[in-house]
Amino acid sequence: MRPRRRQRIVLRSTFERSLFEERRALVAWTLGLFTYAFVMTAIFPTIRDNPALKTIHSAYPEVLRSLFAIGDMTTGVGYLRVEVFSTVSPLLLIIFGALWGGDLTAGEEDRGTIDLLLANPLSRQRVVLEKWASLVTGLVVASLGLGLGALVGIVVFDLGVSVSALTAATVAVCLIGVLFGSLALAIGASTGARGLARGVTTVLAVAAYLLSTLPDLVDWLRPFRPLSPWYHALGTDPLASGFHLWHLGGVAVATVAVLGAAIVGFNRRDLGT
Amino acid sequence: MHNQKMEEERLTHSENRRATTLQRSREAAEPTIRFHAVTKQYRGGGGVDEITLDVYPGEVFGFLGPNGAGKSTTIRLVLDLIRPDHGEITVLGLDVRRQGIEVRRQIGYLPGELTLYEKLTPRALLTHLAHLRTGVESSHFESLAEEFSLDLDRPIKDLSKGNRQKVGLIQALMGDPKVLILDEPTSGLDPLVQQSVHGQIRRACTEGRTVFLSSHVLSEVGQIADRVGLIREGRIIAIDDVTNLRRHSAHLIEAETDGEINLDHLRELPGVSEVSVAGRTLTFKAAGPLTPVMSMLASVDLLDLVVREQTLEELFLAFYAQDHAPS
Repeated sequence: MRPRRRQRIVLRSTFERSLFEERRALVAWTLGLFTYAFVMTAIFPTIRDNPALKTIHSAYPEVLRSLFAIGDMTTGVGYLRVEVFSTVSPLLLIIFGALWGGDLTAGEEDRGTIDLLLANPLSRQRVVLEKWASLVTGLVVASLGLGLGALVGIVVFDLGVSVSALTAATVAVCLIGVLFGSLALAIGASTGARGLARGVTTVLAVAAYLLSTLPDLVDWLRPFRPLSPWYHALGTDPLASGFHLWHLGGVAVATVAVLGAAIVGFNRRDLGT
Repeated sequence: MHNQKMEEERLTHSENRRATTLQRSREAAEPTIRFHAVTKQYRGGGGVDEITLDVYPGEVFGFLGPNGAGKSTTIRLVLDLIRPDHGEITVLGLDVRRQGIEVRRQIGYLPGELTLYEKLTPRALLTHLAHLRTGVESSHFESLAEEFSLDLDRPIKDLSKGNRQKVGLIQALMGDPKVLILDEPTSGLDPLVQQSVHGQIRRACTEGRTVFLSSHVLSEVGQIADRVGLIREGRIIAIDDVTNLRRHSAHLIEAETDGEINLDHLRELPGVSEVSVAGRTLTFKAAGPLTPVMSMLASVDLLDLVVREQTLEELFLAFYAQDHAPS
């Protein structure tokens, strides 16, 4: 019998193990987002050279225009905003974050590995923090995939979008993914229910999206718009107007609050029962 | 036969000596694990009720009870995986709630419902856990793997239940923790590996470490433990030395005979009790040496004979019904 190849994997921490276990999904999501952003920019020249599209957006009903951020698609910024940054890529990152975040501690409880993990001299707080750090690392890598795909496309197909504008939009999308991924972690850590964590997070993300976009049409919703993290991350149109530090700071503060809730929620529970 | 008897006597002698040593250490030492009036009730029922129990350095404490009696609940409370409604648990004088990290640094734990990280090999998993614990050399788990004949490089998802159990035992034993807490340690293992595990447990306690193990396999607890606690429906109903219990151990004998046996004569034999007759079937209990009983049975036509050792649980219940009945 041929000697089996030794798996020389050294995982020094929960952080490293969490990333290791998610490595295939992470590679797939990163490549997918890269490809998505690049392919969308590749279509841009045919849109730009079609004069009819210059005005077609005004033919859409207003409700669709504001919901899907439909605007002038014949400029690079307008096109990228509509096709990549306003809806699709943040939703993709939120889904990735919610799937992973919901599984981080609740998945270990569900599979029964939590005993093996927490019998070690580690605090629960540390476990949550390390797992959260792996989630953030993963989302940053996936966002880099998205940003790089867009960047290559911008250069090759001449979209005329500046690197700083692209960076601002990518950071905003990444932050919204981190916020909702953290929320899924917090719900999973506080309840032990993976499906609930993913489901509630998705519903809240959609609600945040609607609360960010609908007030253009529904006046009475306007005072509530600042409650939507989506509005603070993307409602400011970072691709056109760059970084809005106060707004992004708000998203970051919300993330820290959610992380705190994850630690408190995890700390007070009976695990894996 | 003669040799066997001598061997038994020798074993009993060394057991007695060990029991005496442990008795002395119990009187002198602080308990390693101390449960004080620990209660944990689950909303859906189950849990444990007012557990008070001390486990001492150098002893193997066997926690015996049927499935669902509260063994795993008690154990998971020590690891701070679940929290008691009230009561206090200390390990080496440290509170498991407030000083949990320090406590767990001293514990090697085998979960009852063991689940491993499927995507790793045993080597990668044990390396990982060694890093989380710090101070565990890979050579230690490698030598344990050799002893248990476990292939460290075969993916965990391809391992049988027995091999997974070996991985669980190795991670609990590696680094020689001062306290071993093993929930159903030999479930799923073949007898040879069971012997190795028993050897490791004995080594640990001769080194002055403490072993707290649970089992529903009564003979196993009897074989390996110094003291036994019996738990039922969340309550500890008895705690005693194994040697003490052994002294009262008996065989249950069921004989189908064709001839007449002098029952009065049988009752007079040393250790014989609970004699009863139903048709041609004679049942009784015999404590101590079996030779006199057997020679008596050999004097009649024996159609069938069943000799069964009393289980530890029966022993427990009989012992307590008789000697410790509430007065």
